Amino acid sequence: MADYILPKTDVVIVGGGWTGLTTAYELAREGQRCVVLERGRDRHTATSFAGPEEHDELKYALHHAHMMELRKETLTFRNTRDQRALPMRRLGSFLPGSGLGGAGIHWNGQLWRPLPSDLEMRSHYADRYGADFIPDELSIQDWGVSYDELEPHLEFFERICGTAGTAGNLDGEPREGGNRHEGPRASGYPNPPMKQPIATTLFGEAAARLGMSPFPMPSANVTQAYENPYGAQLHPCTYCGFCERFGCGYHAKADPIICVYDRIKDHENFEIRCDSQVLRVEKASDGKTATGVTYLDKSGVEYFQPADIVCLNAYALWNVHLMLVSGLGEPYDPETRSGVVGRNYSYQTIAAVDVFLDDEIVTNPFMGAGALGVAVDDFNGDNFDHSDLGFLGGGYIACTQYHGRPISYQPVPEGTPAWGAEWKKAVRDNYLHHTGIVVHGSSAATPDNYLDLDPTWKDAYGRPLLRMTFDFPQNDRKMSDYVLQRAVEIAEEMDHVRSISTINRAAQDSRYSLVPYQTTHNAGGAVIGTDPRTSVVNRYGQMWDHHNVFVFGACLFPQNLGYNPTGPLMGLAYWTLHHLKSDYLSNPRPLMDA
Amino acid sequence: MSNPCYGRKRGYSRRAVLAQVGLGGVAATLGQLRGVRHAFAQDDGRPWYFLDDAEARWLAAACDTLIPEDEYPSASQAGVVDFIDFQLASDYGAGAGLYMDGPHQSGTPEQGYQFAFPPSDLFRNAIDALLQDDPPLTELDAEGRHEALRGLSESEDNLTDDIPAQAFFTELRTLTNQGYFADPIHLGNHDYAGWQMVGFPGAHAYYLSTVDDHNRHHPAPPMGVAHDRSGGSSLPRLIERGE
Repeated sequence: MADYILPKTDVVIVGGGWTGLTTAYELAREGQRCVVLERGRDRHTATSFAGPEEHDELKYALHHAHMMELRKETLTFRNTRDQRALPMRRLGSFLPGSGLGGAGIHWNGQLWRPLPSDLEMRSHYADRYGADFIPDELSIQDWGVSYDELEPHLEFFERICGTAGTAGNLDGEPREGGNRHEGPRASGYPNPPMKQPIATTLFGEAAARLGMSPFPMPSANVTQAYENPYGAQLHPCTYCGFCERFGCGYHAKADPIICVYDRIKDHENFEIRCDSQVLRVEKASDGKTATGVTYLDKSGVEYFQPADIVCLNAYALWNVHLMLVSGLGEPYDPETRSGVVGRNYSYQTIAAVDVFLDDEIVTNPFMGAGALGVAVDDFNGDNFDHSDLGFLGGGYIACTQYHGRPISYQPVPEGTPAWGAEWKKAVRDNYLHHTGIVVHGSSAATPDNYLDLDPTWKDAYGRPLLRMTFDFPQNDRKMSDYVLQRAVEIAEEMDHVRSISTINRAAQDSRYSLVPYQTTHNAGGAVIGTDPRTSVVNRYGQMWDHHNVFVFGACLFPQNLGYNPTGPLMGLAYWTLHHLKSDYLSNPRPLMDA
Repeated sequence: MSNPCYGRKRGYSRRAVLAQVGLGGVAATLGQLRGVRHAFAQDDGRPWYFLDDAEARWLAAACDTLIPEDEYPSASQAGVVDFIDFQLASDYGAGAGLYMDGPHQSGTPEQGYQFAFPPSDLFRNAIDALLQDDPPLTELDAEGRHEALRGLSESEDNLTDDIPAQAFFTELRTLTNQGYFADPIHLGNHDYAGWQMVGFPGAHAYYLSTVDDHNRHHPAPPMGVAHDRSGGSSLPRLIERGE
């Protein structure tokens, strides 16, 4: 029982990151009183992330000063159901954020759109290759919302971020220098692409010689002075090399504070309460709606915040956790394969090529940016013929230059000892003569990869921890190996190459590990769809079971695509908000029949 | 044996470490150092925050085996032992970022850190166990230390009931590396030893006009968060080899 019951608000929003602040912006201006509850602290781009203090690799990149605190909330992990899951005691594989702006503060700014076929994954592969082509081990499905429906919303978010890039498909018209595989876009990128350093240039030249179509990675690291549709001012990126894991004090990486929060914070319908940990969503006795949320403030006082609409805008994993501890939706049971909450958890399948260059090439790796790179999309999604490959999905291949931060960036050729004189010399000799190519692969859902509640361990608030059961499916191991070989071919074609080596996180003889960083792209667990037996929310992001609960973020992805999630999930957010504003507010009800 | 701890090469203070220097030697060395900026830094009696002298000597021997001296300073010459001492005494050592609730049990490598104790205990208990080696690491020559650490890195044994040798070695190597390359405000990377070595210009980063100026190394000397041309950290403590 809460210590205090607060006055009712129209909308309560759990989480003050990209989707939460955007939800507040759009609904507050629609006349809805919005209360945002953010578990982390208040902070601001201008004062909290200013260099040079922000440019402390140890504090921010390795000691995770901007990330969530595991002492308060974490999860347990196991590869398979026959193991005992143990707590994630230390951050590693992924780095969810905490504090105003959420993980949108420390992202890289790689801003992609989904392919049209990504959104119709099961029916697309069944149509092109026959239903038998889809491996039995996979539980992939369609999103229930099409590319054409999302396009205006994807486009709008690109303008919110002042995205830099080169269009490859303008309304069906192919454009030189862009991504020829992308879906048709109504307009080009709002800003010109980033400048490219030598290494990514060499990669692009090699890929073109092999008949592929290289293009500059679409980037929310802004390339010129820019005002977004909300009136936010963004500045040109300085290529400082402190992007991912850092906030951007230059106002050059689009983030939710500059781009959204500052434009709504003074609005009469907007209120944010930081240091407010939502414990559960409360359900109405009618069984059809939620009544609000219960949360703790910093001093441990418990409040009930009643609301007409509850929006779940926490990070993907914690949205699912909140549903499970609140009894929202039916939990997934892998034994019977029934239930939906926690079903189809997926990740990202990452491999990489290290490319060592001769001394004529000076890469200056410290001149970097989170979305600085040249990519090819020829082996992503279904952009290539899968008939004889025995897997589905793919990934983009990109030569990137994020940073040269010297603790984390120590490339040495294969066979170099891990320490000692020879290692020390190799670090020195290769630092300025190396580049990296990433294979950023899709992650297909399976019935055995899922999220539920742990029977043993509790968080700081006494709630059971989320339990993650995950390993890479065979499909993704084959996919990763295949696309990695294509990346190796590009590396071998590059000029000035001395040697290359590879690493594959989903290699055949390995298991998914929580220890090395891979990506903060946890997806699924509360997926979108058109069938309540296989989705938590309908195609408008509205819960089937509780029509006044709307869900946002990558937890909606039925399986993860070969792109970074922020673009697709923000496209979905604006799609949901469009239907909330234009339809639900005037007539609250289930927007689809179950 | 040759004494590795004197003089200055390429602008680094070679204040030293792991050497049989008496007070006379230290004073003579200090006299040669142009880089001594803090009166405090000349106080060889500065206490450790966390370590005791025996642990510090062991760490100096181990860290200097992981990152030995060549044209660039060794780990301890660059303040890595000072760095580790401070880390163990502060949030990292206390496990402030870790979920430490029980029950504890050992897991698979994929499940990561499962110790029932924070990193400060991991270091203390592991080093105290390793100090029982006969002869101790500090008494071995360079080749002997190399072999001892190779043994530690490959060992399938435990150092104590609950510390596998490899787990400690991995943590030790990680901290040594961090200490050599982290911003000098954390007490390692003294005089930007690590940054000079690779050519990293540091925290004051603005490359809008140079990022596409291909194949020209950026000439800026390193500058850290403290905005100090020589790093801003105090001199590494002197660690004598013997009791």
